[in-house]
Amino acid sequence: MLIFRYSARELLRHPARSLLAVLGVAVACAMLLDMLMLGGGLNASFRSLLTSAGYELRVSPAGTLPFDTGATIGDASGVRLRLESEPGIDAVAPVLGSNLLIENSRGAGPDEGTDRLFVLGVDPAEQGIYRLTSGVDPDENGVVIGRELADTGLAIGDSISLRAPGSFAEAGRRTGSFRVTGVADFLYASSGERSAAVTLPTLAQLTDQPDRASLMMVRITEGENPDSVAAALRLRHPELEIASVGQLVETAARRLSYFRQLAAILGTVSLVVTTLLIGTIMAISINDRYGTIAALRAIGISKRSIVAAFLVESLLLCVLAAAVGLGLGLLVAGQLERILSDFPGLPSAIRFFVFEPDRLAWAAAGVLLAGVGAALVPAIRAMNAPIAATLHREEP
Amino acid sequence: MSAERAGREQRRLVEARDVRREYRLKGDLIEAVRGISLEVSAGDFLAIVGPSGSGKSTLLHLLGAVDSPTSGAIYLDGSDVTVMTDAERARFRLEHVGLVFQRFHLLPMLTALENVELPMAEAGLARKEREQRAKALLTRVGLGERLRHRPGEISGGQRQRVAVARALANRPALLLADEPTGELDQSTSAEMLELFQSLNEDGTAIVVATHDLQLAEGARRQMTLVDGKIRE
Repeated sequence: MLIFRYSARELLRHPARSLLAVLGVAVACAMLLDMLMLGGGLNASFRSLLTSAGYELRVSPAGTLPFDTGATIGDASGVRLRLESEPGIDAVAPVLGSNLLIENSRGAGPDEGTDRLFVLGVDPAEQGIYRLTSGVDPDENGVVIGRELADTGLAIGDSISLRAPGSFAEAGRRTGSFRVTGVADFLYASSGERSAAVTLPTLAQLTDQPDRASLMMVRITEGENPDSVAAALRLRHPELEIASVGQLVETAARRLSYFRQLAAILGTVSLVVTTLLIGTIMAISINDRYGTIAALRAIGISKRSIVAAFLVESLLLCVLAAAVGLGLGLLVAGQLERILSDFPGLPSAIRFFVFEPDRLAWAAAGVLLAGVGAALVPAIRAMNAPIAATLHREEP
Repeated sequence: MSAERAGREQRRLVEARDVRREYRLKGDLIEAVRGISLEVSAGDFLAIVGPSGSGKSTLLHLLGAVDSPTSGAIYLDGSDVTVMTDAERARFRLEHVGLVFQRFHLLPMLTALENVELPMAEAGLARKEREQRAKALLTRVGLGERLRHRPGEISGGQRQRVAVARALANRPALLLADEPTGELDQSTSAEMLELFQSLNEDGTAIVVATHDLQLAEGARRQMTLVDGKIRE
């Protein structure tokens, strides 16, 4: 314990130097934590989003990813029935998506006085697209609106007019008036995107896409393996693109691999900075004490005890820095998250920086290991300096 | 001389036989110690004097197993320290040799008490026991009122007393001091001599390397070193 007391007090001998070292390492630690959160956060968040509604598989037209293109699945009701009859399938939720125009009080032309709105056609009895916060699911003439739209003043019971984009001549046929039956959170809506949901047949009629679906969300029977079920379905339905959530996450991870690369590079940089910073501080500190170290060794204090004292000193610096740095990292991650949440085209539920205790532990462990490792080199160098020669040099 | 003291003095603590120490400095071969043989018995108080560069400190380091001779043999309390490993010699020094330096080399952030406790902690003594012993030692060197003071809060003479107390922490039979009064004024040096004489009276063998004639004359015997050799 005496050695711990010595190490702790040594840090107080040069408070400004220690403080600067702590702050420097804290910044590096914050960066490391943020990069660890960024590196795995997007994947974890994406997986969480895709599984949040309880559907483990996604079915889209062959060669596409869900909502990646405007392609749709034909004979949607037939496909649904066939999928539902497959072993291991519990339920199938078809979804059709289309951009519509919502008419407002401004202007009068075919596209004037309108706002764009992403409308999803669903089977209200089986859907994983939205979660009602108030009201009820839509009926044939009803619409559930997202919060963004509700914030414009629309409320349950109000009527809105939706129209598919197209020529002025067809405008009448492609227009429908709907009563707002509910307000919901749309799970996959991007930031600021106005979303609404109507029944699948209603949207199909409005957009002239009879019996088509952009996507089918499939819930598998409890205990089944999603990847195995997806593989079996792919064999029997080569005309469809069938992927498990895990496979979609992998695909997304490949597409967003530059985030991981960025995180890996910056994370490594922060560890290098930590190592250099602690290494420099400890080298200066140890060089100042060569004479004392030699004297301590001369009176019989073992190399192990003296190295331990330096490692404890470095460890204390890193623990303090990690405590500050982890807090700082969370703060910075929160600020960056606010900026990145407006990233176009990404569901707003996606988080770039996901806090997980193990990331925190990894960041702390990384900094502590880098710090202690950095102190090891000057400490061992000092230990191997010849005692008598060092004392000769130090004594007048 | 009492029978007990006479018996004690017969015990040979240090025996150096034809010890040489050479090292290279910028390509030149330096012969710091050239074939020295000497003995130090329990209860002895030897002052090694000589001009700067005569090899006093080198010899002291060799006698204390801090350094290894290029040739020759050194027995400390019957053990050949030249064949010991680095770790064995460190342990031997911790338990059998007390060292005092010109510049004290106390740990500035530890109190006098903690500085004295340090070698005992290394030796594995329980906290209570080492605290009691450290208090007794500091009281013995006249610093009973300065236990909680740090080195920066006491005078040079007091610091050297703390260093002496630290050197005695593990009750060594041999105390080696390299220019212990080098940083002290005349009156404090005289006090240091008194302390050494008192410790020697209590049975600790002392070897000091010094320029301080007052200190050397206070020793039981003197040895003059010139160019790494004992001058007869």
